[in-house]
Amino acid sequence: MKRLITGIKNLDYILGGGIPAYSLNIISGSPGSGKTIFVQNIIFNNARNGLKSLYLTTISESQLKMVRHLQDFEFFSDDLLGDRVIYGDLGAVLRRQGASEGLDYLTQMIKEHLPNIVVIDSVKVIRDLFPDEKTFRSFIFELAAVLSIWEITAFLVGEYEEQELTRLSEFAIADGIFHLYGQEEKRFQKRYMRVLKMRGTSFQHGEHLFQIGPVGIKVYPRMRPEGEELRYDVKLGRKEFGICGLDEMLCGGLLEGTITLISGATGTGKTMFALKFLLEGAEKGERGIFLSFEEPVDQLQNTARCLGWEIDKYLAEGQLEIKFISPVELDVDKHAFEILDMIGEKKVERLVIDSISSFESSVTDIQKYRDYLWAIGQQLRRRHVTTILTVLNEDLFSPLIVSRAQLSLITDNIIILRYVEDNSSIRKVLGVLKTRGSDHDKSLREYEFSPEGINVLGRLDKADMLK
Amino acid sequence: MSEIIEKRIGRYETLLKEMWAASSKYLGTFSVNLLVERVVWEVSLEYKEIELLQYDQNGISCAKMAAKLEENPDLPVEDMFIKFITRYVEILARLLGHERAEEIKKKLDEEFAGDPAASREE
Repeated sequence: MKRLITGIKNLDYILGGGIPAYSLNIISGSPGSGKTIFVQNIIFNNARNGLKSLYLTTISESQLKMVRHLQDFEFFSDDLLGDRVIYGDLGAVLRRQGASEGLDYLTQMIKEHLPNIVVIDSVKVIRDLFPDEKTFRSFIFELAAVLSIWEITAFLVGEYEEQELTRLSEFAIADGIFHLYGQEEKRFQKRYMRVLKMRGTSFQHGEHLFQIGPVGIKVYPRMRPEGEELRYDVKLGRKEFGICGLDEMLCGGLLEGTITLISGATGTGKTMFALKFLLEGAEKGERGIFLSFEEPVDQLQNTARCLGWEIDKYLAEGQLEIKFISPVELDVDKHAFEILDMIGEKKVERLVIDSISSFESSVTDIQKYRDYLWAIGQQLRRRHVTTILTVLNEDLFSPLIVSRAQLSLITDNIIILRYVEDNSSIRKVLGVLKTRGSDHDKSLREYEFSPEGINVLGRLDKADMLK
Repeated sequence: MSEIIEKRIGRYETLLKEMWAASSKYLGTFSVNLLVERVVWEVSLEYKEIELLQYDQNGISCAKMAAKLEENPDLPVEDMFIKFITRYVEILARLLGHERAEEIKKKLDEEFAGDPAASREE
């Protein structure tokens, strides 16, 4: 099937490759939801590829304002105006001469310009010009027929409330419906879009985050666990930490492509264990990404230097990349998608997310958080990325509690770091709780940080040290 | 109307009626009417006389065309109709997909075996 490529980042992916050609699509949403920019972005992207668009406004003067507002976007180009993007005023004809003349005017404009895309902004205004639902429905029906016969992909923009989407006749006639809306979340004013209908193609349901930035619209598809059974090749290679005692406990390292949870109280060194894992990979030529939501890059570099690790070298070579996202700015909808994007682009073999607790605190809906984790977990396994997630255990001397939100279910391996009391001093111990598909050492072993790195010491032999 | 003109126009009229019927199965008569309107407009840029084609939601007729041909036997009706049919099928193929358009073409081929207009490639 021929499709209209929107050219909007990730939107074509959501639509299974683009909008079916010659379809009639409604872009609905309240004022300020981004409808006009959404459509303008599509027509200017297509104008660059040689397609012609006819943009028919239904309110006089709006063209001037529209063009003024668009000028700051990178997709906009003066050169395309009047040639590939043509504006017209359908509203005046409809108001003065009625619906029938409006369709004649449209047909005349089509014959004159032979556009590939027609936009009517706003169709809601046209609706108000009709005396009743029946005549408006008939107008929309004829409009849809005219546009498809002329091989035109059409966008009807309208300020519709969500409850109108199931009630009004234009939505029954439309082939595609995009609903745009905003929502206040904990820290951000967010914009979402849902594709409610798209005849002739499969598409990704659910709400997708989008942002309006200088380049135009960028969509972040909803992260969702896939319905079908997860199938991926199990690889038996091992990924070492380069920490002698720990690799021994893991029978040679983590199994390739698995997800490991490192759980520990504050100060137990979760971040350093995870960082060492990436440095060991970098040493072997495996590219790694460290996503830090807690410590900035400089701080991580300093700590690594104190442990005698050659972090600067690997950062300079590009074998290791540290990306710091302030927890205040963390937006799971956006960043979860970007993480996977980055992994694909850079052919990453080892990944650390430090910490997953920050992810949790940025999502208001715990079910949504679980969905994200499942989705990310599935994607990472498919791509054979050996991943470490760190998680904060808020109880310093707790027993072996791993995490909330059933995080342990998505992980293959669990390493716990914890404090223990030994007479009047505090020591640190680590243990491997689980390694899926592999044996492991069940003992608890003491560890320490030194200028030579992380040293895993002997077994903890005093059971009474465990609280 | 002379027998020759009736014969010249008649086979095209039958062909157009078949096309109409075959495509209305997929598009509906309202859209077929719009499609004919579009193709008439496109062909009229070269052959103004195509506007003599009479059509509405009930069907298509070449009566006016035949009368005009009577007045002016030099009208290039063959070229005009071939252009009309070719363009019609071309658009139909894009609207319905080549598979459906091929079905319609095949049907026309069967009905008008040996007629150059019916078997002409897009």
